[in-house]
Amino acid sequence: MADPVVRLDRVSKRYPKLTALDAVSLEIRAGEIFALLGPNGAGKTTLISIVAGLVRASEGTVTVLGKDVVADYRFTRRNVGVVPQEINFDPFFNVEETLRIQAGYFGVRLTEERLKEILVALDLEPKRKASPRTLSGGMRRRLLIGKALVHEPKVLFLDEPTAGVDVELRHSLWAYVRTLRDRGTTIVLTTHYLDEAEELADRVGVVDHGKLLVVDDKRALLERHASRQMRVTLASKLDVLPPALAALGLALENDGRSLHVRVKPGETFGAALTALAAAGIPFTDVETERMRLEDVFVELLHGRAA
Amino acid sequence: MIASLGVRTLFVKEVRRFLRVPGQTVLSPVITTTLYFLVFGWSVGSRIGPVEGVPYSRYIVPGLVTLGVVSNAFLNTSSSLFMMKMMGTITDLLVSPLSYLEMLAGFVFAGVVRGMMVGIVMWLIAATFTGFHVAHPVLVLLFLLAISTSFAALGLCCAIWADKFEQVNFVPTFVITPLTFLGGVFTPIAMLSGPLRAFTTWNPLFYMVDGVRFGMLGFSDADPRAGFAVIAVIGLVSLTSAFLLLRSGWKLRG
Repeated sequence: MADPVVRLDRVSKRYPKLTALDAVSLEIRAGEIFALLGPNGAGKTTLISIVAGLVRASEGTVTVLGKDVVADYRFTRRNVGVVPQEINFDPFFNVEETLRIQAGYFGVRLTEERLKEILVALDLEPKRKASPRTLSGGMRRRLLIGKALVHEPKVLFLDEPTAGVDVELRHSLWAYVRTLRDRGTTIVLTTHYLDEAEELADRVGVVDHGKLLVVDDKRALLERHASRQMRVTLASKLDVLPPALAALGLALENDGRSLHVRVKPGETFGAALTALAAAGIPFTDVETERMRLEDVFVELLHGRAA
Repeated sequence: MIASLGVRTLFVKEVRRFLRVPGQTVLSPVITTTLYFLVFGWSVGSRIGPVEGVPYSRYIVPGLVTLGVVSNAFLNTSSSLFMMKMMGTITDLLVSPLSYLEMLAGFVFAGVVRGMMVGIVMWLIAATFTGFHVAHPVLVLLFLLAISTSFAALGLCCAIWADKFEQVNFVPTFVITPLTFLGGVFTPIAMLSGPLRAFTTWNPLFYMVDGVRFGMLGFSDADPRAGFAVIAVIGLVSLTSAFLLLRSGWKLRG
């Protein structure tokens, strides 16, 4: 297997009253999309910030393309792009100037061709001379991505790229992330949306309270943890659940007014619905939902993973 | 070459930033100081006799120019870095391959440019009234460059330390302006008495004003070499402090 693009070896970040990262070891492979999942405050941003040099690790080592991010920071930073979670912009400079300045920091003179390529890819060409103040939230987020790409990094970190953005932009950002990966850029994205990880990632890491709970292939992780749930609203209150339904995993809730059942990926709710009809129990509504990441966390934390 | 382009980018960006709002960054200090010159130097000064054979209106020019240079060099770096902290754009710089020394150079050079620009414009305005003769032009330039470098570096220290904009304004309002005004801008030290005179001899801004006055007018209260030594020490301390603060990551990096 090729050498990892990014390697964290027992990396910790400790603050006086908080351990943001606790002995995290992780390898990001070349050309993959790696999703780092976790609730707010889990340590995702801290991890990214340490790789990018924004935060200094208390312990452990981080390498990018085999070079230490502290000792060889010039090399590693030239190869890392970071799209921060918080939108930032300098109101003194327009879109084009913003990109040129960012490239300049990295020692890159942005050619007109490259500038246009970034602007077109991010649908910002018509706003080239516009002040970031006049851009919509989505455009500002795309400008952040443009800034992170000006020096053509080998690995791009996207910190919560779709937090608070509308569905259309979300999908266009996903498409662009795939394009970047297809061109050879390694992508690391943090998110607390499980569907985002499902949609994009090759591998997934789950972090909570600074600890890396699991790193796995996306499919393997979802098969193990991401069950679905069906909730059936009954036409009338049911006091006792027939044993045939209980055997299928159905359980009463809401004081007998509804039933719920959970199935693993690949399984369907067909057997439960058939049994419900066979038992002659009338129902008025059926609702299915995928488990949210928070639910997966609860299971992981309590060792109750399916 | 990466280093030089990075520093140049930061420097040019910082200069363009203050040139985008010339009314605020250049014109405003020039008008304020020109008013000082007109009121104190021209109106009041006409009733005061010459100092060391020089008309009073001309006597106060070096002090006012120094005040303009000091304030603007300080304000450029302090306001810019503080705004970058507040707006989050400091991240753009911190993830770049620029070294701390390069960041320091980019910010400080831009602060020096603004300080010198304001100082020169102020001097040109004053000189149209008092004459363009300068006793030691090279010395004036050296003094002002050293002064602006020192205060641009101090501005960076202040911006790193500050959590609120009020704190950024604290230093120019409560430290720089009083020390400059009490540093012999309007009065020769011989005219002062008692504690004020003692205070002035301990006031580092006095040596800066005095040094610039020597360069412009050819005379001074203190030995200009002592003045230059004071500025050199302050410059060295402020540059070293700014560098160490940047390197420490205090209030910048987590």
